[in-house]
Amino acid sequence: MQLNRTCDGVKRRDMLKIGSLSFGGLTLPNYLAMANNGQATQGRADRAIFIELPGGPSHIDTFDLKPNAPSEIRGSFNPIKTNVPGIEISEHLPKLAKVADKFCILRGVSHTLAAHRLGQEYVNTGSKPIPALEYPSFGAVLAKERPSDAEIPSLVAVPKAAQGPGFLGIRYAALETNSTPTQGQPYSVRGISLPDGIGVHEVNRRQALLKKLDRRFGELEQSDQLIEGLDQFGAQAYSMITSSRARQAFDIGQEPESFSRQFGDDSFGQSCLLALRLVESGVRLVSVQLGGWDTHQDNFTRLKSNNLPKLDAGLSGLLNGLEQRGLLGTTAVYVTGEFGRTPKINQRSAEGGRDHYPRCMFMLMAGGAVQGGQVIGESDEKAAGPRNETITPDDVAASFYYNLGIDPTTEFNSMTGRPITLVRDGNVIKELFS
Amino acid sequence: MGETKRNLAPDNFAMYPITLRVTFILTFVSGVWIGTQNSEAKEPRLLVRGQSTTNVIPPINTRFAASPEGESPDFQKHIIPLLGKLGCNGRACHGSFQGRGGFQLSLFGYDFRADHGAMLDDSTGRIDLQDPDESLVLAKPLNGDFHEGGKRFDKNSWQHHVLRTWIHQGALNHSPEPMQLERLDVQPKEIEFTESKQETNLRVLAHWEDGSVEDVTILCRFKSNDDSIASVTEDGIVADGTAGDTHIIVSYDNAVIPVSIVKPFPASKSFPLTSSKHPIDRLVDQKLRKLNIQASGKCSDAEFIRRASLDISGILPSPKSVEDFLSNTEPMKREHLIDELLQSDGYAAWWATRFSDWTGNSDEQLNNVLPVRNVATEMWFEWLRARLENNVPYDEIVEGIVNAQSRNPNETYLEYCQEMTESCKPGQASRFADREGMPLYWARRNFQSPEDRAIGFSYTFLGVRIECAQCHKHPFDRWSKDDFAQFAKLFTPIRVNQNLVAQDAKKERDTLLTAITGDEKLRGADLRRALYGAAREGKTIPFGELLVNVRQLTEKQKRAIELAKKRVRDTTSTTIPSGKILGQTTNISLDHDPRNELMEWLREPSNPYFAKAIVNRVWSNYFGIGLVDPTDDMNLANPPSNGPLMDYLADEFIKNQFDLKWLHRAITTSDTYQRSVEPNESNRLDQKNFARHIPRRLPAEVIYDAVMLATGSDAKASLLRDELNAMAIADGKPKRRNQQDFALEVFGQSIRESNCDCDRSDSPSLLQSVYLRNDSEMHQRIMDSSGWVTQACKEIGVQGPVQMNDAQYRTAFNRANTIRKQVVNQASRFRQASDQQQLKMRKTIASELQRASQKIESLGFQMPPINGILSGKQKWESLEPLPPKTAKHEDLQNLVEQAYLRTLSRYPDIDEVNVSVDYITQSESPADGVASLLWALVNTKEFIITH
Repeated sequence: MQLNRTCDGVKRRDMLKIGSLSFGGLTLPNYLAMANNGQATQGRADRAIFIELPGGPSHIDTFDLKPNAPSEIRGSFNPIKTNVPGIEISEHLPKLAKVADKFCILRGVSHTLAAHRLGQEYVNTGSKPIPALEYPSFGAVLAKERPSDAEIPSLVAVPKAAQGPGFLGIRYAALETNSTPTQGQPYSVRGISLPDGIGVHEVNRRQALLKKLDRRFGELEQSDQLIEGLDQFGAQAYSMITSSRARQAFDIGQEPESFSRQFGDDSFGQSCLLALRLVESGVRLVSVQLGGWDTHQDNFTRLKSNNLPKLDAGLSGLLNGLEQRGLLGTTAVYVTGEFGRTPKINQRSAEGGRDHYPRCMFMLMAGGAVQGGQVIGESDEKAAGPRNETITPDDVAASFYYNLGIDPTTEFNSMTGRPITLVRDGNVIKELFS
Repeated sequence: MGETKRNLAPDNFAMYPITLRVTFILTFVSGVWIGTQNSEAKEPRLLVRGQSTTNVIPPINTRFAASPEGESPDFQKHIIPLLGKLGCNGRACHGSFQGRGGFQLSLFGYDFRADHGAMLDDSTGRIDLQDPDESLVLAKPLNGDFHEGGKRFDKNSWQHHVLRTWIHQGALNHSPEPMQLERLDVQPKEIEFTESKQETNLRVLAHWEDGSVEDVTILCRFKSNDDSIASVTEDGIVADGTAGDTHIIVSYDNAVIPVSIVKPFPASKSFPLTSSKHPIDRLVDQKLRKLNIQASGKCSDAEFIRRASLDISGILPSPKSVEDFLSNTEPMKREHLIDELLQSDGYAAWWATRFSDWTGNSDEQLNNVLPVRNVATEMWFEWLRARLENNVPYDEIVEGIVNAQSRNPNETYLEYCQEMTESCKPGQASRFADREGMPLYWARRNFQSPEDRAIGFSYTFLGVRIECAQCHKHPFDRWSKDDFAQFAKLFTPIRVNQNLVAQDAKKERDTLLTAITGDEKLRGADLRRALYGAAREGKTIPFGELLVNVRQLTEKQKRAIELAKKRVRDTTSTTIPSGKILGQTTNISLDHDPRNELMEWLREPSNPYFAKAIVNRVWSNYFGIGLVDPTDDMNLANPPSNGPLMDYLADEFIKNQFDLKWLHRAITTSDTYQRSVEPNESNRLDQKNFARHIPRRLPAEVIYDAVMLATGSDAKASLLRDELNAMAIADGKPKRRNQQDFALEVFGQSIRESNCDCDRSDSPSLLQSVYLRNDSEMHQRIMDSSGWVTQACKEIGVQGPVQMNDAQYRTAFNRANTIRKQVVNQASRFRQASDQQQLKMRKTIASELQRASQKIESLGFQMPPINGILSGKQKWESLEPLPPKTAKHEDLQNLVEQAYLRTLSRYPDIDEVNVSVDYITQSESPADGVASLLWALVNTKEFIITH
């Protein structure tokens, strides 16, 4: 596959040449055949970090700049070169520009849901929301398919989860930290250390007693989601309390200053550091949020003075940190908002803003088998839609699962026994892994 | 058919036109027509209602199969629905906010003027009147290569003919205002699949205001609410799936019509009709029978008292009330308990908390709406609580909010400020509750723009999410963008602001201000501080007022309107702004406070939402799921799971003068509410038809209080129960963001901010389990000196659980050691005294040493026998701790019983007693064992869920 130079000066993978069999057309049987022949790289990641940018970040001011577009579209930010020749991103992301070889930019990702909640549900699950059924978050699927050791939660959300476990059931819900860590300070999730005066022996005895007494619901324990979920959480809470592993994992205060500094000193950067420590300790998926992207007004000031510096420091710190710890090859990283923003700048405030725009957005992928330092997909000259082939959130979700070694066409059963395909309409984006 | 199933239907039924392949036997049974059919027939049973209409205009696809002559397709009736059906105005295509391919249509249609304009706009090239075939609206959908949206129809298809004919005839939009679609008649109304692999056709007739009736099936959009139960094709053919019930949603023009679908579970055996005479039970039973679901039996008395107490009053029943209830043999005891609970303080407090959720009583949003800080939420809560306590009719409570004025009738501004200053003082919120109106609702920061108010008002009082229509036609309801805009306008005249007062009060306000600030002109935070300080000093401070900023008509305008009326002209073209109530056609002129009319509309018996919204929310509190669910999303595409039941409850609620206690009583006295949690084969999979009790996690505040009551001593618990003020269900104060109580936040207390019932969460989580098992607050409550473990240990005469920390131990040791030294010295002085002196001293010293002995023991150490010390035989050179006492077996059994009653509200069975007693006797100390038992009981699933 070769790199082509396009009119906007950005190199991109030539996808047309591969044709429909490849991009967006890689069906599972094809994929399996290719994997068997050694043609497709197997997913290598066994853990993941999912970074959400709720509000919907502007693609045109971050990773998909259009310097040649008219001024009412291009905005006031300029592109800068990255450490990968041919790839340019916003001038307000200088640190990420230095690690562009570690991640892959997806451009011209497109869908149709312009409401925050629906868009979030879509990108968090890889399936378009439908009324009868809620699809599970990525973490819930991992928690089910690749559960962590008992004393470590499978899924942690810092500080809150945007997406629940849907039809998989409450037992696969995230441990929400409800707070974010501060650099250099000890950090703990409340309740996971034993208080003075109660030893592990005492906890074990109590647990045994509880097990004998907590048996009121008999056969309902298997068939009721709530009761089953409570059992699961109870067992997990017990394991976490009695082992020091979880405590250690949460305590970012144990990181040397030289290491923690590179993440930036705000709560997002330190949450990224926490995510790194947690996946290092065996948590399957950590979700981290950086909000404030809903820039209907004052788009440029808000981005450059607040959101972009935070994202820049936190994400570059995370990618560097994962590499330094030897985790980048086994940790799948996925960064996305729920949609892009309108190319045309609105007049709602003095400097203008941008509105919800699902037809064109960016996403970032890194880690595991993802080949960094490339741009996949392309938007048109006004960043108003994909130029050629359309990448959908379904495709990216399928690829994320693939990177984690989970077949995106796996069927699960809903509570009522209805079979449901994990990612309904997605195809693995092969270029990510080549 | 083996037996006649009853379909509840309120009005007349008739044979459906024979285009359907179904043979009907129509029977008139007690006022309703029942459609059944031959058991050999493989078709589903259909419920058909309404008259067969003559003069139906046949479907457009037949009329335009060949290029017709003489018929003009209508823009509203045909062209826009056709474009909708073809997907043109979807969000992905031309319905997007920036259009697509240089052409934009209103999302989901119904903005006819804009759509017509967009199509006729020369620059879009969509319509070419000179050469119709060159119109892009024809060329693009005919040619996939040329159209990003692909090929949408074939050349010379009926779609092609319709669009081409319309353009050919001038591409007109005849009516400047949309024509009213009077009724969209979908047949059948209800489909009951009796066997698998069945199919049936839907047929849809549009009844227009001009009297015409057209078969528009082919122009409708169809959607299934659950594809696994029934699927539907583009042409309206419905096919069955797995067992259950759902709806097919039919949309055309601004109408959205649900068709009920039932696919029964396989019948294992027949079961009897419910014997209950309770209307709720009968209506639930009707639905269950259609689904072949048998209801579970009634719950036990112990389950009932726990469930009813927690659900009605939010409070865990006391051990004594459980014992009394269980030993009571009176047949009507459940009804009596319900009455007692409805009279209890807990009822008013808990429901004021729920009403606070729905009305948005949030500290965060009330910041600075009063000159005194942190009192507004409490006043709001108390205002609601007092009304619930007195069972003020629901519509009157709402009236106090909707029509709220700051001043009571005939109150001067000064009197108002004096009263409000008093009400803001600690513990005086009840003075505010005595006031007529609750204007704080209007003062919230997230309730200031007319749009926010339209959205918030719909959420609170209608249970409707109108926000979709702010930007486009509501996809699941009939609301258009214009409906939203007209509705929002009604809220423009209302102004609330701390610095705003009526014209007549300005002077008085200045006088009050000058008395506080002197000549200094303070503003913003400085002014607030000064006012706050003055209020604390007992001075009367000025308050803002809610004002209705209406523009009066000038005399000239009034005359012009009179004149126009006489000449029967449209009178709306004056300069006075006006708005419209949702779904109403009358303009409300904003030359007066529009809220009276809003309120009158709310309490109209014909209002489609007002009563249903509250009935549904109350229902949801008792069953964990609304008849319409989510409870704040009543729309045409989300019909109730049991429509007749919803209608019954809403109608009766209105007939009972909006009596809330009637509603609670009606629900809780039904068998449906009192079902057992045990499932049977037929109802195991059903979640929404109320065939068994489905366990729910208790709400955040209720769990919080239950933990306090279960772990606290009897004295502490009864204080909590009597006062209520210290309980989470009664404080009515969701804290500010990031300052919420940790436990309440973890358990999902409502943040009351986003006009969504989902602000409250009842999902369990890992962190909740961690909290209950291991949070220091939990350990503290269990070991507390005012806790039940301490009390119980005292009662059985063993040492309590209070674990001294190192510092406390040192203090105790030092004190005991000082006493020891004094005692040893005293004894030595005694021994040195003469016999005569000893005789004199003996009595005093004995009693002194007795006291010292008690003191030493209370500090946790032992003292040797007094005689030994006095005689010097006991040197007593160091302190020894007291040996632990053992408890009597009988006492422990009783204690275990008490532990069960105060946590799980039931007696333990014999196994549970044995396990618990064994555990305690094998523990390091009885106190450890009792503490562990209490810990285990509050950590059972049984404790935090309803059952």
